[in-house]
Amino acid sequence: MYAVSAKGLTKSYDGKTNALNDLNLDIPQGSVYGFLGPNGAGKTTSVKLFTGLLKPTQGECTVLDLNPVKAPGDVHRLCGVMTESARMYGQLTGAQNLLFFAQTAGLSRDEGNERAAQLLKELDLWDAREKKLSEYSTGMAQRLSLARALINRPQVLFLDEPTSGLDPESAQAVNSMITDLAGSAGTTVFLCTHQLRYAQDICDSYGIVDKGRLIAGGSLEALCSEIGCRIKAAFRLPEGDSLDGFDAADGWWRTELEREEQMPKLLKTVVESGHDVFEARLVKPTLEDIYFEYLKHQEEAQ
Amino acid sequence: MKLLSSAEQAVVNKDFGEIWNTRMARNTIVLVPLVMVLFLPVMYLLMILFVPAGEMNGVDQMLQLLPREVSYFSVKQGMFYIMTNVVCPMFFLMIPLMVSSVSAASSFVGEKERGTIQTLLLTPLSVKSIFKAKVLSCAFLSAIATGISFVVFACVITAGDLFLGMPFFLNWNWLVLVLFLAPGVTVFGVVFMVLVSGRSKSYMESFQTSGYIVLPLVLLFVGQFTGLFQLNALILLIIAVVLLVVDCLLWFVAARSFTPEKLLK
Repeated sequence: MYAVSAKGLTKSYDGKTNALNDLNLDIPQGSVYGFLGPNGAGKTTSVKLFTGLLKPTQGECTVLDLNPVKAPGDVHRLCGVMTESARMYGQLTGAQNLLFFAQTAGLSRDEGNERAAQLLKELDLWDAREKKLSEYSTGMAQRLSLARALINRPQVLFLDEPTSGLDPESAQAVNSMITDLAGSAGTTVFLCTHQLRYAQDICDSYGIVDKGRLIAGGSLEALCSEIGCRIKAAFRLPEGDSLDGFDAADGWWRTELEREEQMPKLLKTVVESGHDVFEARLVKPTLEDIYFEYLKHQEEAQ
Repeated sequence: MKLLSSAEQAVVNKDFGEIWNTRMARNTIVLVPLVMVLFLPVMYLLMILFVPAGEMNGVDQMLQLLPREVSYFSVKQGMFYIMTNVVCPMFFLMIPLMVSSVSAASSFVGEKERGTIQTLLLTPLSVKSIFKAKVLSCAFLSAIATGISFVVFACVITAGDLFLGMPFFLNWNWLVLVLFLAPGVTVFGVVFMVLVSGRSKSYMESFQTSGYIVLPLVLLFVGQFTGLFQLNALILLIIAVVLLVVDCLLWFVAARSFTPEKLLK
């Protein structure tokens, strides 16, 4: 059983253009899946379809084998959802908000209070628990939203830009919580983001979506080899020195390698040919490099 | 069988708090009943008690509205009877109508405006349960306000009856009005607002729309002064039954239009 699955999932709001077009994906349980794409690519639409807030125009999707159109309540019982547009009640305090959502998830008052206290402490909101949400900063409100999504101990967590508007420290705390959830509780995380550096830190597989279409999917290595991104060897040489067949940028001389294992031999060759090497390093393609490479290819193809 | 599950009860409690915290809604819930069942009847009573009958304009025409069985009333008694049975029912029905519609505006449109409806739709509660809990919270609030208002109104009118030496005011008209028409008006106010909420972009816009539903009520009661018709218990009961049927139909239509796709448009 997949945690999240889609077959030919399509959504059009106006009947003319598709906000999401023929999405096919299967996400195994316990993985952290990064759903990447620029604004308007169809990420939020996908989350809304998976959580039953929208009905697909074509195709279907399931969450833990449950159809969100037919059984949205059952899907919500097993899922936690955090999106930018799903706000909480400004007149209620942080603790009251969490208690309310715990009760709607079927927890008793005592259980709800206990769970709320636990999450408030974990997300560093305990001291602000009696403050009204309207007095929270953006980062605090964002963390409270995450606590709300976690209140029912979800098996699948849909996160739509969970770190947008957060300072680096808070973003780090949220990311480490997501990683812990996936590691210790086996929660599947569906993470929509365009903060690629964070995504690379916490995700184990990715889907790249552009203009409503999934243009690539798989692990970082698989994406990398599919698009032809290679590891590079980089050397820093004295000023005025140069290496034939290498590209120069920012004082570094770079060349592509097919495999990591080629590096020691290349370094030896460079040194033996009389160059003074101040620094040598392997530059692995980042998610950001791969992502932009895919988008570039997509644009060229169009 | 419980009317509400504990999760639905949580929504009701949250809605009570939210409606009460909306200044416009709170002012309406407090001020409309105060004006309709306390301020206006007391002012009218004082006027009857202290202004000489000869100085009042249009008294003769008004006294023509008196039913035959109370034709023995003095001018002051007759005036008070007309206020109690012709004017005040309209004032009284404004309470369930205004309270329910302003509560529904805050509960439905306000939630949409504040962006919290999406979060509520993401809970394990079904859309039907959310709809039921929200409608009932507005109806409960309206019922409480109407009930308290009637007690206050009864005190004011009983005091007037005692001062003027008249029999106790409660008659079949009032019983039908309180037990059937007021609940019908309450549900109408809520479901009408739910239907309007789909088109309203803001809480204020929907609240202004509620002004339209007051109009038929005013026409119904003010129309009696033209002499064309007079409302009695039977007519009020028929109106209440028709209204309850309309309520059921509107509830059905409103519940069908209460879908995530429409709410998140």
